[in-house]
Amino acid sequence: MNTRRKFSGRFLDPASTAIFAVAAVLPLLVQQPYWQGVLVVALYYGIMAVAWNLLAGFAGQFTLSPAAFSLLGAYTSGVLNFHYGLSPAVGIPLGVLVAGLTGLLLGRISVRMRGPYVSLTSVAFLHIVSIVISNSYSITRGDLGLQVPDLFGLSRVGYFYVFLAALVLVQVLVYQLLRSRAGLFIQALRDDELAAASRGVDVTRWKTVVFGISSAMCGLAGGLYVHFIRLASPEIGTILQSGLVVTMAVVGGMATLAGPLIGAFFIQVASEALRAIGMQHMLVFALLVILSVRFFPGGLWGFVEDMLRKPRVPAEPTVAAARERVGP
Amino acid sequence: MFNLELFINGIMTGAFYAVIAIGLTLIFGILKLVNFAHGEYYMVGAYAYTLFAAATGLSPWLGLPVAVAAGAAIALVMERLLMRPLYQGYTNWRMMKDEYAIIVTFGVSLFLMNLATQVIGPEAYQGPELLQRSRIFVGPILLGGHRLVSFAVAAGVLLLVLLFIHYTPQGQQIQAVAQNRFGASLAGINTARVSQWVFAMSGGLAALAGGLLSPMYLAHPMVGMLPATKSFVIVVLGGMGSVAGSLVGGLIMGVLEAFGAVYISYQYQDVFGFILLILVLMLRPWGLFGERAREL
Repeated sequence: MNTRRKFSGRFLDPASTAIFAVAAVLPLLVQQPYWQGVLVVALYYGIMAVAWNLLAGFAGQFTLSPAAFSLLGAYTSGVLNFHYGLSPAVGIPLGVLVAGLTGLLLGRISVRMRGPYVSLTSVAFLHIVSIVISNSYSITRGDLGLQVPDLFGLSRVGYFYVFLAALVLVQVLVYQLLRSRAGLFIQALRDDELAAASRGVDVTRWKTVVFGISSAMCGLAGGLYVHFIRLASPEIGTILQSGLVVTMAVVGGMATLAGPLIGAFFIQVASEALRAIGMQHMLVFALLVILSVRFFPGGLWGFVEDMLRKPRVPAEPTVAAARERVGP
Repeated sequence: MFNLELFINGIMTGAFYAVIAIGLTLIFGILKLVNFAHGEYYMVGAYAYTLFAAATGLSPWLGLPVAVAAGAAIALVMERLLMRPLYQGYTNWRMMKDEYAIIVTFGVSLFLMNLATQVIGPEAYQGPELLQRSRIFVGPILLGGHRLVSFAVAAGVLLLVLLFIHYTPQGQQIQAVAQNRFGASLAGINTARVSQWVFAMSGGLAALAGGLLSPMYLAHPMVGMLPATKSFVIVVLGGMGSVAGSLVGGLIMGVLEAFGAVYISYQYQDVFGFILLILVLMLRPWGLFGERAREL
């Protein structure tokens, strides 16, 4: 792949830097509180889409459980605050820790599985988390949810910059990870696990690690989000929420750096616009996902990348893709 | 203590689980992919059965073939438009087949759920009962009339499916393609047509279960989610691709749930199934009945 050019920036790739630069001035252009709220939610999904893309797009582990880890991050901070009055400043990092450790566990469990089995395990995991949380009334108050305070009386614009900072942090982490030696190991897992193992890549370790990192990021997203909407509820962790995250990453462009960012903004803003005309927004997006994987598997950003690439040659086949072609 | 009533109830629920799960395992058998849209075939069946009776006022018995046809039709369209590329000239350098299959079936699932919400609405409808008599004694056990009749239908269909797969040429072709698609095509089997058959059967069976269960579990856009996740558990338990495995797995699941809900915990009963799923995938990934020589 054009790895060298893609990872040319020191801290961040040029495309993401440009997107963040535009995002940083958005609150100046968008004055209505309602739309500022929409942008904050877009950033929340952006964090999760980046985290899922690291796991699915770059490491090849197709989980469907990002929402479950967001739920864990949200309830860790929510429960500690509701019952013990713990400050979000402590609760959110603890939520990241809980989600990250649980992610390590799920990663360890899925080490020997491939393809659809990882997805199945993650779906089962998501249901376990959400059933346990919505049925443990004495701790979580079930579907009623827990009221939690906001983050130090921030304004909408304040929230926007907190979420943006978190998204930039997550994206820089992903970028630095993928650029490092470990990043090559992780991408080798996706391309051909067997070949990677035969070349001495510690499959167990890197798979577990990438699960942990991705889950911790989702936990961060959930922890921040719960103090934005000020209600911890099981709704944060449904399979439909996971579906939305997957949709954003796929439509924006899986296995690209800028794709999930573009996807999150595009889908979130478009869904508000569709809501205005009374359409089921997920109906349109699900169709978009199907059309995207069928005809534009690189998503929006992948399409742009293909256009930019000069001279125009067909995308280089990966080893795994070649194996798929040769197999029976 | 052995409770016969619970056992019978478990077996009856299990038969429906088996009807749903066999379709999932058949698709896995021939294409080696997990169909995340399977629950939506169930949903389509539940709606078709319920709305047919409500719209025409005819006997609910006529709603059953309508439900089967609707489920089979949806599955056939999906096979033709989205699944066929998987085995006829898949040329996608960006995504592996597995990845494509997971995302596209998950996308279809989201699409159909939201289509139902948009077109029919989020409210739930109750399906009509096949038999109006409310209670029938079978030996010492009291059963609802509809429950008994629909169980008989489900059991009959299960028997037919098993006979079909083992004794008809078409069924044997399905087995051949499941064993080796390339080899089967060398032997003159039209593998594309076999795939169509399997998708139609899978959709039809799940839709039939959706119709039969709609008096109890209703018809609404999300109704397929729970049966689908349960059939994932069953199919993994029985061994991916094994028809007999999913039959036995379905019955085991039904009985375990019936006892678990009473003796262990009603609130957390669904959790046990999912923990079982993860444990089986970890420790015995080929399932209870599947063949061992398989790469996970």
